[in-house]
Amino acid sequence: MDQNKPQEEDYGYNLFPERNSGKFQKGSIAESLFTFNHKCQVMLQFAMETSPYAKLLLGAMKSSGCAVYKDRHFSCEDCDGTVSGGFDATSSQIVLCQNNIHQQSHMNRVVTHELIHAFDHCRAHVDWFNNFKHLACSEIRAANLSGDCSFHNEVSRFNFGLKKHHQECVRGRALRSILAVRKVSREEAEKVVDEVFDTCFNDHAPFGRIPHDKKDANFAYRDFENRDRYYANL
Amino acid sequence: ICLSQIPFLKSEFRHCKSLWNRFHNYYAHGTSPSCGQWKEDYYSCREWEKNPCPETKESLQQSERNREAEQRKFTPVWDLRRDPPRDWHMPLHQGKSPDSQS
Repeated sequence: MDQNKPQEEDYGYNLFPERNSGKFQKGSIAESLFTFNHKCQVMLQFAMETSPYAKLLLGAMKSSGCAVYKDRHFSCEDCDGTVSGGFDATSSQIVLCQNNIHQQSHMNRVVTHELIHAFDHCRAHVDWFNNFKHLACSEIRAANLSGDCSFHNEVSRFNFGLKKHHQECVRGRALRSILAVRKVSREEAEKVVDEVFDTCFNDHAPFGRIPHDKKDANFAYRDFENRDRYYANL
Repeated sequence: ICLSQIPFLKSEFRHCKSLWNRFHNYYAHGTSPSCGQWKEDYYSCREWEKNPCPETKESLQQSERNREAEQRKFTPVWDLRRDPPRDWHMPLHQGKSPDSQS
């Protein structure tokens, strides 16, 4: 075997084996009986209706011309390993891993995380497959703004830290996400994350701030709703 | 228009100064939050309602420009779109190969 031959890139699709064909036909009774599909759908609906993070992102995407429809833009599927979700740019779909998401709070976070990727895809020319900087930037933003790195979540992972720990967490999680979906060395991934970190960590669109908890997210959502009316009159 | 914003600006200022927000700011940035702008906007808005004058309006507009400029301090990594992606609303195709790009 040629040791120098580069591994063929699959862009992380191996983690989502049902992207092309599922074990059960979509919408079938077998799918409902033998998978967590129904539970996933219910939790997704609840997240879209009640999470201020998700509601803000859905509103921002609608304003940007990418209205999100649950049946078209979300897909609950079984995934490999411990991955929770993903954004498939080729089909403009958010994949939710029904076999790995079992709590509503987790669903809220995953939906927010993936909607941030979808929002970036909607508002910018993101080259997901060929430009590592673009991928890294979106991962930094998703880790930063979704609540992935909130103090509460970090403590629950036994990652204790205070001053600027949020940034450390964002770096670490962005790195992990990149390494999960691209066949690159850790050093290369770290280099790319470092290059784009300052810009992308400080890009808070569409929140206008880093929402550290639900209260922050509610403030950001109210600000977003008010924005057009207030600033147009200014 | 400022009348509807006064309670909003006041609550933003109070939220900014709260202990929890100070903690979160330290956790994220290693510093205390700067809440002066919210306070200034709140008083400017109250002033505008009592006595609408160009200076007050300019102060509020400048505050918003500053807030937007803060967001644009860094060179963007990607180019923004003028229109949303063409295939966003297109129906799904079954059996589409994963690495094809539209």
